[in-house]
Amino acid sequence: MSDADRSLDSAEYVLGTLGATERAEFERAMEREPRLGDEVRQWEDWLAGLNDVIPAVTPPSQSWANIVRRVRPAAAPSDRPAGITELSSYRRSRARWRVASLALGSLAAGLALFIASEHLRPQAPSYLAVVNRGGDLPALIVEVDMASNTVSIRSVAAETPADKVLQLWYIAGGQAPRSVGLLDRPETRAALPASRTDQLAGATFAVSVEPVGGSTTGAPTGPVVYSGKLFRDR
Amino acid sequence: MSTTSLENAAGDASDLAALILRVSAGDEAAFQQIYERTSAKLFGVVLRIVKGRELADEVLQDSYLRIWQNASRYAPDSGRPMTWMIAIARYAAIDVVRKRAHDAGYTPVDPPEPAADPERQIVVQDMLGRCLGRLAAPQLECVVLAYCNGYSREELARHFSAQVPTIKTWLHRALSALRACLEAT
Repeated sequence: MSDADRSLDSAEYVLGTLGATERAEFERAMEREPRLGDEVRQWEDWLAGLNDVIPAVTPPSQSWANIVRRVRPAAAPSDRPAGITELSSYRRSRARWRVASLALGSLAAGLALFIASEHLRPQAPSYLAVVNRGGDLPALIVEVDMASNTVSIRSVAAETPADKVLQLWYIAGGQAPRSVGLLDRPETRAALPASRTDQLAGATFAVSVEPVGGSTTGAPTGPVVYSGKLFRDR
Repeated sequence: MSTTSLENAAGDASDLAALILRVSAGDEAAFQQIYERTSAKLFGVVLRIVKGRELADEVLQDSYLRIWQNASRYAPDSGRPMTWMIAIARYAAIDVVRKRAHDAGYTPVDPPEPAADPERQIVVQDMLGRCLGRLAAPQLECVVLAYCNGYSREELARHFSAQVPTIKTWLHRALSALRACLEAT
């Protein structure tokens, strides 16, 4: 490949017109050849004027809280329980719930199975946050029942370090975390710290590692090991 | 950016560079300041490419995570801080849409979003505007749609009712001409 073509690869990389495979290949080439990185920076600089054409849009209000939550555990990796590598959340559908339950059958053996429909009234809005660990295995399932104003947490193979306890926190948009309760049993029910439905949509649940008995300061003191956004279930 | 704000922009740039330096030392307050000053721009850039607020939010979060993790690698010769951050967000957004198209084996058909009238808006931007203005109309539009809206070659081909190899040729001609023009300044 001639130098001229290579340089156009750099340009197309910055422009974004390389396909997925070509992009990945170019990024590998960039690691080997610093010259390509220089070309990329040159094109980024040349084309930066186009950034002004794009209007700014205010991001969702909970984005910052989620970013902070993802940044913090990385800041204290030595305190993280082994095996927890990834934080994410997803919206549940009934079908997915069943699939997940079946897939987890062997893992969940011996744990009390939490049947959502038993206490959820069909007409009441319910919310669900699934907090994941690496490998996309749901480790904690947080369910909020607006009808009875309770939050239920089912713990599936959650790993707790010795002499520590996991504590669940509720964070409404932009507010300080409020303790929901300790996750020291396979299944926990607790009163909801929020009373209004509109406060719940988009709220975040986070789990921190605390000394036995829970945080004594009223705020998380240990590393946040899980977090998940709350989604309306129906 | 109008010419009257250039001085402020220069001040912003050195401020942002200083904040990035503090972030590389793990300063969360500095990180928050960066977020407050740049997130609307980055979200606008990402949203235009991935279309859909939920996915754009995920990409935005990933972008700031990368900014946090790579702050120590930022150096003045990495370019202006805003350019550096927008590049991180744009690449994250483009990676997502290219992988989605690649995995699905097709490119989703999105209603073409009208590009912000390229000529009118770009003409004011010094050399880039002048050099873009020398391109043939479809080549100019290719560059703008690819950069601002994240169009792939396949999407550009559909937009212009042209074949993908034709688009590739247009892009190469446009980029070669742009480079020659920008290098001459």
